[in-house]
Amino acid sequence: MATLELDSITKTFQDGDEEIVAVDDVSMSIDDGEFLVVVGPSGCGKSTTLRMVAGLETITAGTLSIDDRVVNDVKSQDRDIAMVFQSYALYPHMSVRQNMSFGLEESTDLPDDEINRMVSETGEMLGISNLLDRKPSDLSGGQQQRVALGRAIVRDPEVFLMDEPLSNLDAKLRAEMRTELQRLQNDLGVTTVYVTHDQTEAMTMGDRIAILDGGELQQVATPLECYHEPANQFVASFLGEPSMNFFDVTLEGNRLVGDAFEYPIREDVRADLGDATDLVLGIRPEAVELVDKAGDHEFETTVDVVEPMGDENTVYLHFDPDADPENASALVATIDGFNRVSEGDTVTARIPEDAIHLFDRRTGEALHNRSMKDAADQVDL
Amino acid sequence: MLDFYRRLYRTIRPSSGDDESEVRADGGVVSDGPAADPPTEPDRDATARLKSALDRRFGSDFMESSIFWLPPFLLMGLFVYGAVIWNLLISLTDYQRFENAPDYSDLDFEMYTRALADSGFVDAAVNTLILLVLFTAGTLVVGLLLAILIDRGIRFENSFRTVYLLPMSLSFVVTAQFWLWIYNYNNGIANSVIGTFGLGPVSWLGNQDIVLYAIIFALMWQFSGYAMVVYLAGLRAIPREHYEAAKVDGASTLKMYWRVIIPQLKGATISAAVVLMVFGMKAFDFLYSLVGGYRPPNGADILATKMVREAYANLNWAYGSAIAIVLFAMALGVIGPYLVYEYRRDNL
Amino acid sequence: MSDEELRTDGGATTTTARLRRNLDQMTAEDAGLYVVLIFAAAFYLVPIESGLVTSFKTGTAIIETAPFAPPGPSGFTLEKWQTAIDALLRGMGNSLLYAVPATVISAVVGSVTAYGLTIPTWKKSYKAVVLMLIIAGIFIPYQAVLVPLTQFWSQWAQLDQVLSFVWALGVSNDYAGIVELVITHVAYGIPICTLLFRTYYKTMSEEMIESARLDGATLRRVYRRIVLPLSGPMFAVVLIYQFTQIWNDLLFTLVLVSTESSPAAPVVLILAGLGTSLEGQDFALRMAGAFFAALPTLAVYIFFGEEFADGVAA
Repeated sequence: MATLELDSITKTFQDGDEEIVAVDDVSMSIDDGEFLVVVGPSGCGKSTTLRMVAGLETITAGTLSIDDRVVNDVKSQDRDIAMVFQSYALYPHMSVRQNMSFGLEESTDLPDDEINRMVSETGEMLGISNLLDRKPSDLSGGQQQRVALGRAIVRDPEVFLMDEPLSNLDAKLRAEMRTELQRLQNDLGVTTVYVTHDQTEAMTMGDRIAILDGGELQQVATPLECYHEPANQFVASFLGEPSMNFFDVTLEGNRLVGDAFEYPIREDVRADLGDATDLVLGIRPEAVELVDKAGDHEFETTVDVVEPMGDENTVYLHFDPDADPENASALVATIDGFNRVSEGDTVTARIPEDAIHLFDRRTGEALHNRSMKDAADQVDL
Repeated sequence: MLDFYRRLYRTIRPSSGDDESEVRADGGVVSDGPAADPPTEPDRDATARLKSALDRRFGSDFMESSIFWLPPFLLMGLFVYGAVIWNLLISLTDYQRFENAPDYSDLDFEMYTRALADSGFVDAAVNTLILLVLFTAGTLVVGLLLAILIDRGIRFENSFRTVYLLPMSLSFVVTAQFWLWIYNYNNGIANSVIGTFGLGPVSWLGNQDIVLYAIIFALMWQFSGYAMVVYLAGLRAIPREHYEAAKVDGASTLKMYWRVIIPQLKGATISAAVVLMVFGMKAFDFLYSLVGGYRPPNGADILATKMVREAYANLNWAYGSAIAIVLFAMALGVIGPYLVYEYRRDNL
Repeated sequence: MSDEELRTDGGATTTTARLRRNLDQMTAEDAGLYVVLIFAAAFYLVPIESGLVTSFKTGTAIIETAPFAPPGPSGFTLEKWQTAIDALLRGMGNSLLYAVPATVISAVVGSVTAYGLTIPTWKKSYKAVVLMLIIAGIFIPYQAVLVPLTQFWSQWAQLDQVLSFVWALGVSNDYAGIVELVITHVAYGIPICTLLFRTYYKTMSEEMIESARLDGATLRRVYRRIVLPLSGPMFAVVLIYQFTQIWNDLLFTLVLVSTESSPAAPVVLILAGLGTSLEGQDFALRMAGAFFAALPTLAVYIFFGEEFADGVAA
């Protein structure tokens, strides 16, 4: 068991005369037994970060330590880590048993029968005992995935590294494996770093998630914190489907003035904003309510498109009924599936002040977030 | 150089072995790390530092991987580049006859001026160029046509391909026998064929003006199958949609190939052309076997045959070396740009 | 062509479907295509066929029958083959003696070299330099190294004397030439073998190699346990290609073994002078010899044509 510490880790590549910064000054620490999910859009540097932890890429600057031991210059095989790859990377000419034994044979002096015993045990744990004598090419995608996992587990490493391990599975299997992986990690209690581009995996699996963009670390926090208290506009927009609504607004006195509406704010919210006047107002679609009565935070809108999802509807609203729907600022709301609205209806949308987020338009930094407590209350409702 | 490497390796190997045992003994302290133990021997420390310095400069696996590629690379480098440089040196001496070794104390370009004055050399150089250009171009055209025909979804594709490539598997020595028989004046096939058109008979190998072209034709026979295979691989790499899109756009079959398909075969053409030119320069075996000796038919002397004849028949070692250097320069003129091209495409 | 067959066998489906399509739509254009293809095939086969029939002809039959026509019962003789085999058999043995070891060694060395230059990570720009030098080695005209090679083997590395204990066993010291040929062919075979293996190793899954290294395998173990066992198909290609090249080469044998009368003379060397005499050329004998000498490479080509095509296309 081990802690993992990244301190100002930086990676630059040389491309001709240009220097490309793939990972820029990333610092985070992962606790013993923690499941950390690293998430971000493609090309954000998440895989590079993982590969630096694995020792497959050299670290340009910064220090990496496992259990307070600096491992920057330690070869991969001496870091006591195991990695599960996106392609599973099984050895095609070896049986499942040989695949799983390989690491133990290469990295330990264990006698053969001991290795055999460990492989059989791990196989049982993963429910692949009956596959041990088959070749990878005879296995289904899901089975290969399990073998890849088994190969990592059997080595009993200090740290598990997983690089999008579920992305080659179909949707149903992926959901199953998500649960199974979480259970396994819980049982084994091995420190795990898990890279994915899939926000569902990030939200559901991790003890904490680390969000990367453009090689820079945006936020490390629990999934709910990241969702409800995003550090900046990128995190707010990256998590959640449909994505958070954003409106450019300007602070005038105690009012936020946008293209389509004016929105008065309370004094305590105003106090969070400091000197910033060019702001972005953010509101999650599920926080928007359709109501009957008018008021300061209620706006007359026209329904543009309704996407029924079964349990809920995603409704695209716009503020100005005469405007070209292509250009008018739109508001997306998720409402109950039984709430019947249809295209062209005029409805009143409420943007509750308790649920708004305000970002500095220049830096993207969050100035005001809804409180976690409010959010929790709302879930209870 | 080899010695240096051996010594380096011998000193590094035990030290890396020690590293491994250290890792196991105290649960993962590695001496490469910044917190390295004080070295027991200064010598070992120096080599370890050299190793890590080399690794840092060349990449993490450089030292460990060098055992795989460096010895073969050195052996090959010695035989290829070492020999070429040595050859250059010899070409600057006056080495000839039964002297045991060249005299390296007196170097000059006499052999090269002698070559320029030698009409035999100039003829051979001209013949080499003609052979290279005609043979390469002709073989490429025939190979391309065959590849296009075979790629049209025909039956027995494999059989046809096998037949077309068959001559390529034969030795120059063997094919030379076949063509000697075909070009034979009295009852060779070449004369029977043109005889049916009321022409000939022609002395294919005896007529100075014809012999080179007869040989080029024979070489094309042997290597057009090779060009076909390369083009076929190129054609197969073009997505089917390109043919279909061109058809939908209303292009005729001829237009489709000319404007859509052939331009995409540039890479295949370049690599096939380079290989063919090299084969052309090696046509020595064919010419030697045609006559069973160093003196090819009149009018068909090329640099490759002239070089071997000067050196091994006339024992003009230095002169032969000078001709070899000219041949090498010609090859370099073809290969150099090709390698740069491949490097630019990241295809090495 | 039943429908059942179409369903059961995937391979047969395309062939039968294609066949059906071809028969249905056999247009004038298609017919023309096949005529051209068959003519081309004839062009490639006639020199070989003509050589084959000639090798069975008596002297009179050669003059009286067309060069590509079979000899007929009275003009048929095996005498030329008999003579050719007598003359070349010794050379066949000698050729095998260097072609087989040189082929195997250069394939193994090529595989190891390609592995070291492809799988381990070190700076691409330095790798490129090494690779360029190696690939350029494929295209060097051998003439450019011939004189130094002779110097090297005759003055510097005098195998003749190094191996004197072998000659003491009654082996002709001309066989030093065979050893020289093995080493020479290996050295000049390294570039092409390396290139062929490299194209193959480049397609290997990077993640698989990384996984093996994370599993604690050293580079040497990765080669032994992962890369080498997966190299089988490429070894077939390289062995076949190299064997054909080495067997067929004349230049090095000419320079290193020199005379066809030597007991160590390889088959190509003897063949080049076969059937030439003052009275003129004995074509039947030449053809029989050519076929006999080509037998090993022809056999390899016929049985492993696919691999040969892969080798030359790379």
